[in-house]
Amino acid sequence: MSHGIEVKGNVVECLRSATFRVTLDNGHVVLAHLSGKVRKNYIKIMLEDRVLVELSPYDLSRGRIIFRYRT
Amino acid sequence: MNTNSSRANAGAAQAITVTRVNQTHWRATAENLVVGQADASERPDGRTFISVDAWTDAAFDQLADRMLTDLDGPLYTLVDDTDPALLAKWQQHGLQPRRREREYRLPSSGDAVGAALASPPAGVTLVTFGMADETRLRGLDHDIRREVEAASGWSSMPAEVLPRPNGRTVIDPSRYAVAARDGRYIGLVRVTGRPQQPRIGLLAVRADEQRSGVGRILLALALHAVHERGVDAVCTEVDETNTIAIKLLEKFGAQHTGTASELERSR
Repeated sequence: MSHGIEVKGNVVECLRSATFRVTLDNGHVVLAHLSGKVRKNYIKIMLEDRVLVELSPYDLSRGRIIFRYRT
Repeated sequence: MNTNSSRANAGAAQAITVTRVNQTHWRATAENLVVGQADASERPDGRTFISVDAWTDAAFDQLADRMLTDLDGPLYTLVDDTDPALLAKWQQHGLQPRRREREYRLPSSGDAVGAALASPPAGVTLVTFGMADETRLRGLDHDIRREVEAASGWSSMPAEVLPRPNGRTVIDPSRYAVAARDGRYIGLVRVTGRPQQPRIGLLAVRADEQRSGVGRILLALALHAVHERGVDAVCTEVDETNTIAIKLLEKFGAQHTGTASELERSR
């Protein structure tokens, strides 16, 4: 069974609808929304946050933020 | 792994299989690919919050259906108000909004901070962060929580202030500042979060000391302390029906930055 690809990155822009633009460590920029688990735990994502993004298996330019690293 | 699975058509001729992985986790797969996951977790106040993360609407619907069927009792979830599509999805599955929580950003400096610190309520002294007597601080926290439980209860409170397991509520005393009158601790403020992104986690005053400016001076003290650390703002959350707290925040220049709805399936 194949899980989504997980990549670390930095939040470079906070958009509407709990969506963020994230620059991944490989240089790619993706649109990522907040995962339900992150939202449920009241974790706030802000500009420049270091995050872990799971990429969509259907569209590698989209993903969801599944973890925010402590900085 | 629970192998009791449900299958349905994904709409694009793609069969989705939903599997309950364990008591709190569900997974949707299609053509050997994980296309969604659902999670249930219990809050310190005993309520179960659920979430679904799916790459397709079909996977979302099937995960939600399955989880809502598998779990008994009231269930809750959170939706940002800027995400009406997600709100509509949950409402289609029978969850309804029960309360809304506003998020605010407060500048750590400003006229209101200086004015409040310059004119504290008569007879009130301040014990700044990390200087409160831990035993008396825990006693104050305990008393205030008992007052809340006897009045409105915790269900309308932001998650940040909910009781913790085993009654451990004061996790880190250095994060608290206290107001005292004649040596008696009467109010507290807790600043949490990361150093560069602090949050006002709790601001509370004993019932018999409310409406006398104690909350105002505690908030000013917290903002001043944050400003002294070189941070220009803090964030906080408040139930949107708590108009007294909202007015207090607005007096300090709070900007409304967002609202989240808490949805409930009651049965």
